Amino acid sequence: MDWLIIVAVAAVVLIALGWWLSYTAARLHRMHTRVEGALAALDAYLIRRAESTMALAVSGALDPASSLLLADAASDSLEATTTGAGVADLLEGQRFGDRAEVESHLTEALRLALPDEVVREIHDTGGPDAEAVQRLHDASVRLQMARSFHAETVAEATRLRRQPFVRVFRLAGHAAWPLVIEFDDALPEGLENWPTLGPVTP
Amino acid sequence: MRVGLVCPYSLDVPGGVQYHVRDLADFLRSRGHEAEILAPGDDDAFADQPHLTTIGRAVPVRYNGSVARVSFGPTTAARVRRWVDAGDFDVLHLHEPITPSASILALWASQCPVVATFHTSIERSRALHAAAPLLRGSLERILGRIAVSPEALRTLRTHLGGDAVVIPNGVDTAAFARARPRPEWVGGAARPTIVFLGRADEPRKGLPVLVAAMDEVLARWPGARLFIAGPNATAETLAELGASERVNAATVALGRVSEADKAALLASADVYVAPQTGGESFGIVLVEAMAAGAAVVASDLVAFRDVLGGGAVGSLFAVGDATACAAAIGRVLDDPVATARRAQAATEHIRRYDWSVVGQSVLAVYDTVLTGVARTTAVGEGR
Repeated sequence: MDWLIIVAVAAVVLIALGWWLSYTAARLHRMHTRVEGALAALDAYLIRRAESTMALAVSGALDPASSLLLADAASDSLEATTTGAGVADLLEGQRFGDRAEVESHLTEALRLALPDEVVREIHDTGGPDAEAVQRLHDASVRLQMARSFHAETVAEATRLRRQPFVRVFRLAGHAAWPLVIEFDDALPEGLENWPTLGPVTP
Repeated sequence: MRVGLVCPYSLDVPGGVQYHVRDLADFLRSRGHEAEILAPGDDDAFADQPHLTTIGRAVPVRYNGSVARVSFGPTTAARVRRWVDAGDFDVLHLHEPITPSASILALWASQCPVVATFHTSIERSRALHAAAPLLRGSLERILGRIAVSPEALRTLRTHLGGDAVVIPNGVDTAAFARARPRPEWVGGAARPTIVFLGRADEPRKGLPVLVAAMDEVLARWPGARLFIAGPNATAETLAELGASERVNAATVALGRVSEADKAALLASADVYVAPQTGGESFGIVLVEAMAAGAAVVASDLVAFRDVLGGGAVGSLFAVGDATACAAAIGRVLDDPVATARRAQAATEHIRRYDWSVVGQSVLAVYDTVLTGVARTTAVGEGR
C-alpha cells in the first residue's frame, strides 16, 4: 500500500512541476516578446527623431551653424540605425552597440540648437517649420516613453530569469539576457515647453 | 482607436481619480477616439450614460488609510471579464491597478495591450508589501506605466519597483479661468476671502492647522473671512476643532458644493489655503485655484512643491505649522504687487496641466505601446 501512496504523491508533484514549468516558460516567452516590442518602438522613434531633426536642419528655420550641428548629429544617428537591422531571433535586435553614444550626442545637439527662445519664435511664426518642430517634439516624447517602458519590461524579465528554477531548467532557452538601454533622452527646455505654447498655426 | 478606461472608485462619489477618468474619456472623444468607462456603482444610477458600464454596488472599505468605495468578488470579476471581452479594445487603460477593485480585475481579464496610471502616494503599505509577489504576474501585463506626479512615481518605485513616465492629472483650466466671483463671497481689500476645500473632518486635510492659523490672521486682518467647503464642512465640525469665538464668527461653512460653485468660490478667493499634512500625491485643486486666479498658500509637501514650481508660483509653509501658515497668508495679503506678479507666472505655469497638453501625452503613451505591439506581431512572434 505504501508504495502506491508514494507513487501517487510523486505523480502529483511531477504534474504540478510540469504545469509550473510550462506556465513559467510561457510567461518568459511573453516577457521576451514584450522586451522586443518595446525595443522595436524605441528603434522606430529614434529613427523618427533623427529624421525630423534632419528635416528641421535643412528647413532654414535655424541659423546655419545650428543647422549644421543638427544635420551632423542626425545623420550619425540615421547611419547607426541602418546597420544591424533584421530581427530574426528573440532579443537578437537588442545589440545597441555604440548607438547609445550617438543618440546622447543627438540629444545634446538638440539641447544646444533649440533653446527656449528659438523654439518660441518658430512656434509664433507657425508654418512648416513649426510643424517640423511638432514632429520632433512628438518623436522625442515617445522616445522617452519607449525607453522607460523598455527598461520596465527588462527589469521584469530579468527578475524572473534570476529565479533558481528558471535557471536550473533553462526555461529561457538560448535567448540573450535582456539589457537596459541607457542614453541621454532628456528633452531640451524648448521642446519641454512646446505643448504649452498652444496649437501650431499652419 | 477604441480605449477602455477602468476606474476603481464609484463615479457618484467625488474624487480626483474619478474626475480624471471622466475628463480623459471626454478628451479622447473630442479627438475622435472611442472611450468606454467601467466603474463600480449602482446599475440604475448610471443607466442614462451610454458609454459607462457599472459593475454593481460599491462597498465602502478601509484601504490605504482612508475609506474607498470599491467593488470586488467573483460576480464583479465575471462582469469585468465580460466587459473586457465584449469591448474589443485597442488599449485598456487602468487607473490605480493596485486598489482591490475593478482595475486589478480588468488587468486579470485583459487580452489586449494594457496601460496603467498610478495615482496614489503612500508612505508604506504592509498589504502591498505582502501582496507584491502575488500581483507581479498580473502587473507584468502592463505595457505602459504612468505616474501622476514625481511623488506617485516614488511610491510606485518603493512598493513595486520599476519605472513609469510622469503625466500629471489634467485640469480644464479654461473653465476655471471663466468662473466669475460671487458677490456674497467677495469682501474687497479690507475683507479678504480665504478658502479651504476638502474633507473638513479628515485631519490629514489639515483644517485644524488653518483654523489655528486664523486667530493670527484675524489679529492682522480683522475683516478676513474663511470659507470652508467640502464633505462635512459644517459649523459642527468647526466646533469640534475648538475654533475660537472670533474664528467661528469669521467662518462661513458651505458644506459640500457643486463643481460650478467650487469654481466660483475659487474665483472669489484672495487666498486659497491647502494645509494638508500628508498623503497627497498631486494637489489638483491647487492647479484649479491658480486657474481661477487665487493666490495659493500650501503646506510644504513634496507634491505641492512640485505643482507650485518649487514655490515660484505659490507660497509654501512648514507642514502642520499654524504660525507659519498665518505668516504666509499675511505675506500674500500684505503685498498685492508681488501676489499679482505670482498670479501672472502661475497662469503660464499651469498650462502644462491643461487637458490639451495632458491628453496629448496620454495619447503618446498609447501610441508608443501600440507601436511596440505592432512591430512584434509583424515579425510573427505573436503576443
